[in-house]
Amino acid sequence: MSGPATMAIETPARAVLGRFMRHRLALFSAGVLALLATLSLLAPVFELLLGVDGEAVDLFSRYGPATAEHPLGTDELGRDVLIRLLYGGQVSLFVGLTATFAAAVIGTAIGLMAGYAGGRIDAFVMRVTDGVIALPVLPLLIVLAAIDLNKLGLPETILSSESISLYRIVAIVALVGWTTVARLVRASTLSLKTRPFVLAARAQGAGAGRIMLRHILPNLASPIIVATTLSVGNVILLESVLSFLGLGIQPPLPSWGNLLTGAQETIWEAPGLAFYPGMLIFVTVIAFNFVGDGLQDALDPRARDRRAAERH
Amino acid sequence: MTSLKQIMFFAGLLFSIASFPLQGAAKTDLVIGITQYPSTFHPNIDSMLAKSYVHGLTRRPITVMNAKWETVCLLCDTLPTLENGGAKLEKTPDGKDGIAVTYRIIDAAVWGDGTPVSADDVIFTWEVGKHKKSGVSSTEGYRRILSIDRIDDKTFTLHIDRRTFDYNNISTMGVLPAHLERPKFQNPEAYKTQTTFDTDPMNPGLFMGPYVMREAKTGSHMVFERNPKWWGKAPAFDRITVRVIENTTTLEANLLSGGIDMISGELGLNVDQALAFEKRHGRKFNILFKPGLIYEHIDLMLDNPVLGDRRVRQALMYAIDRDAISKRLFGGKQPVAHTSINPLDWVFAADVPTYALDLEKADALLNDAGWPKKADGMRANASGEPLRFEIMTTAGNRTRELVEQVLQSQWKAAGIDIRIRNEPARVFFGETVTKRKFDSMAMFAWISSPESVPRTTLHSEEIPTEANNWSGQNYTGFKNAEMDTLLEDIELELDREKRKQLWSRLQHIYASELPALPLYFRANSYILPKWLSGITPTGHQFPSTLWVEDWTVGK
Amino acid sequence: MSAFLIRRTVHSLIVLFVMSVVIYGLIGLMPGDPVDLMISADPNITSDDAARLRAIYGLDQPLWSRYVNWLGAAITDDFGYSRLYAQPVWQAIVPALSNTLILLISSLALALAIALPAGIFAATRPYSLADYGINLAAFAGISMPPFWLGILLILVFAVTLGWLPAGGTPDAAGVAGWWERLQFLILPVSALTIAGIGGHTRYMRASMIETLRQDYIRTARAKGLSESRVVLGHALRNAMIPVVTVIALDLGVLFSGALITESVFAYPGMGKLIYDAVMGNDYNLALVGLLMATALTLLGNLLADVAYAALDPRISYEDLDA
Repeated sequence: MSGPATMAIETPARAVLGRFMRHRLALFSAGVLALLATLSLLAPVFELLLGVDGEAVDLFSRYGPATAEHPLGTDELGRDVLIRLLYGGQVSLFVGLTATFAAAVIGTAIGLMAGYAGGRIDAFVMRVTDGVIALPVLPLLIVLAAIDLNKLGLPETILSSESISLYRIVAIVALVGWTTVARLVRASTLSLKTRPFVLAARAQGAGAGRIMLRHILPNLASPIIVATTLSVGNVILLESVLSFLGLGIQPPLPSWGNLLTGAQETIWEAPGLAFYPGMLIFVTVIAFNFVGDGLQDALDPRARDRRAAERH
Repeated sequence: MTSLKQIMFFAGLLFSIASFPLQGAAKTDLVIGITQYPSTFHPNIDSMLAKSYVHGLTRRPITVMNAKWETVCLLCDTLPTLENGGAKLEKTPDGKDGIAVTYRIIDAAVWGDGTPVSADDVIFTWEVGKHKKSGVSSTEGYRRILSIDRIDDKTFTLHIDRRTFDYNNISTMGVLPAHLERPKFQNPEAYKTQTTFDTDPMNPGLFMGPYVMREAKTGSHMVFERNPKWWGKAPAFDRITVRVIENTTTLEANLLSGGIDMISGELGLNVDQALAFEKRHGRKFNILFKPGLIYEHIDLMLDNPVLGDRRVRQALMYAIDRDAISKRLFGGKQPVAHTSINPLDWVFAADVPTYALDLEKADALLNDAGWPKKADGMRANASGEPLRFEIMTTAGNRTRELVEQVLQSQWKAAGIDIRIRNEPARVFFGETVTKRKFDSMAMFAWISSPESVPRTTLHSEEIPTEANNWSGQNYTGFKNAEMDTLLEDIELELDREKRKQLWSRLQHIYASELPALPLYFRANSYILPKWLSGITPTGHQFPSTLWVEDWTVGK
Repeated sequence: MSAFLIRRTVHSLIVLFVMSVVIYGLIGLMPGDPVDLMISADPNITSDDAARLRAIYGLDQPLWSRYVNWLGAAITDDFGYSRLYAQPVWQAIVPALSNTLILLISSLALALAIALPAGIFAATRPYSLADYGINLAAFAGISMPPFWLGILLILVFAVTLGWLPAGGTPDAAGVAGWWERLQFLILPVSALTIAGIGGHTRYMRASMIETLRQDYIRTARAKGLSESRVVLGHALRNAMIPVVTVIALDLGVLFSGALITESVFAYPGMGKLIYDAVMGNDYNLALVGLLMATALTLLGNLLADVAYAALDPRISYEDLDA
């Protein structure tokens, strides 16, 4: 985060790091997340090491116990649970991160423009934001599930891929999830644009785009990062809820949400199958929350927790 | 770390044995768990399994298919046949072959408010059924009846415009109480919203079964109590509560915690859940599995040029091991299907071609069709296009999702690439299947009754198009002139032996042409308390509740 | 004040109207119509039947004309007929609405009763062991997948211990006293409460910490007032502002958001009703249900602003009119 210092970010990187390190829970959580992400990315390596194929169905070893070959046993189709969980982690983390990132980008752009333009444009954008917040997600999901993507001119490789449900969820979250960041950014932009350094830049003849990107945006980095980190967990939870409703990531692509949903019907027969993904979701979401919390402390020590008090 | 410890504690409990409330000595109440709440209570608007299930407690159709898969009388005296003179061949007014069938309603039969069930009720039902604006879903059966003669209070004769083999089966006609409903039918357009069944659903006059409805809480439960005017054998229970719990995990929890006594097979657990339940609690409950007329299959889009090749369709069958799926996934409770006709149906032909797993045959057929294997083991044609299909089904249906993944893995072993793309039932049935928008494979089930002629799914005139309002269910686009003739002939063949031959021919065509890939017949699983006996699953669309008076407590 | 209220109410009504168009359009965009679903369920429906049924349900008309018809009727207080529940829309909504309100009000009250003291307690001892504990517990509640939590509760309290019913609602015939009725509520209310406590605790704590840094609090402390008088007497009022705001803003989400809890506990409330209406292609019911949720969200927005201004004398209504 080394923005060109038109105005120095109040907190030098070293101090930020120092404060974050003091936040032991956040540090521990960041470690857990890094570990989970690494393990998930290494899923193919584990597959090789264990000598199993994560997709190979074996109807003769359903609900197998833990063995050297299958450290966490096998699932209802005889697939290795550990490998499925790791691939599920890839999907869940990917959805959580990309969807929130996309939502943050959209929200920042809209909030910046509304806040900077002010007046009627601002009022209009904020009413639209109200509308989007009130928008029912469910019918939107079903509509998107049925839209003929061929007509949108997407490349064939994406269309025929089984990951299509994944992109769909990312798109939905991005479409409805930008409002938080937009409100936050707008509020800060409104106050920043009257600050002397912005007025000075404008007096020097800088264009609106340049002022927004070079002068205002760097000062918004910390609230955006904090809000985004906190919402990664929510998106992972949302994915599990959508899976529960049959609208989430579709098998055979595993995600923690659909692994958990699939296992709940056999929770009596094989409680472990529900326990592991449930626990992973729980740990990941709580870890993202702690990291967000810690970042907030670190990036903005004085205005700590003012986030809650912020209104548009 | 309190919360973490709690989770571990919960997880530990998962393994512990559930406790059971003790059963009282004399059971006068029965609580049944099902997974769906009926929408309208009107018997002839919108067909729905949950509705027929609860109507089994409160109402009786004139004729019905019983657990032995024979047509019998419930509301009528004797089943009219050509042999006993109750049915007579005749000519219709415009000179076609017709038939006259005379029924007599049981003398003692009365509605719950004491009014006798009469021929006038039947005539009124027919008037509603054939009326264009009444909102009745399917009017075909009513329009085939040209006229009804009222012989006396209890006797009536139907004049039907064709001679079908099931001429005496009028089980889909739900008799309406004319004394309550006729005033509501003054304005036919408003009838579907004004009917007593929905405006006053607790009115005893709507029911002529062993029970009347006392309470209906939408989405939650319905309570039924003895019908004091019931004219048949007295049932064992004073009160039956039907609880609706959609989530099957919760449904099971309710059974274990004593919230419900039994889980219905018609709308309950799927087979693998029931098998798991049997393993854990088999000593405390009776578990009945009844394979039936729920035909799980994959409709193939025959307009797709690759699937248009019969060799490819047959190779698809040889490449999958349905026997393993049936044995391993379903504990052998859901038998492999060879055609759409269930082996329990008397018209079943045992000598149809079958497709056991045979990768060599699949290989030969595919090579012959121009889809040899490449170096990586997958198949492609001469121009390099991969042999790839997209399979679709209802998202969230776990059993189908599992079967899909097994099939995908088995087909992959034969070099066939399968992509899975599922949709919510709302989209899948509302658009993709009904408007024939699937690209290659659609997996779902048909529920039928015994010896039901698959005209709507196989006749070339039943291919849904924009022009016919997307009606018809021949989603595959199957066109076969001989099949068309067979379908028409079977319906009108009154001679059983001749009909059986026609049926056999139909199944042979089906099994060799393969418009759809037959998978298995679904089984209903009933979870019943040890103290309850007398429930006989039927295995077809008529629910076990129609014989609720035979349910008894004790050995 | 009243000018502000009127202006905001008018704005809200406009948003509501626009939303009714958007929602109707969204439902209309969804593939297939009710008759398609009927056909797939009933093989006996012929081409004629399909055309006839579409005409009966008005599905043969273009979307906009159906909307205009609905709007015309709605203005005269006729919100149409729910095909799925076979009742006038309003009659279908009322019981679900009362169920939802019982569930929401009790769980919100319970959550606040626990969260506010916990948040204040944590705020007065920042970075203490107690603060960490409360934080951890708060995050734990937020971070659990809601259906997982529901199933765990059922497993423990209904199946293993047998103390409480596993779901559903009491039937009038079988249940006598208020305790029996209450029993059915305990588990779903607990599930929602556990999920709700965390957020409120966090907001309360954050807001209180912020307030306690203000100059007037330092002054109060300097005057030698006891810590509890400072916190409860002086700081609480200001610290409540953002908390109340957040609660008001969440109203709409709470309303339709109990879907998962409702379906796990087989509890017939608004979340389930809206979901079923959307999935079952019941235009009128889905539209009215969703509009109610929207209206509640807007009302929450309005209440939040009013509460904001009422509790904080420094804010005038003019400032709020963005």
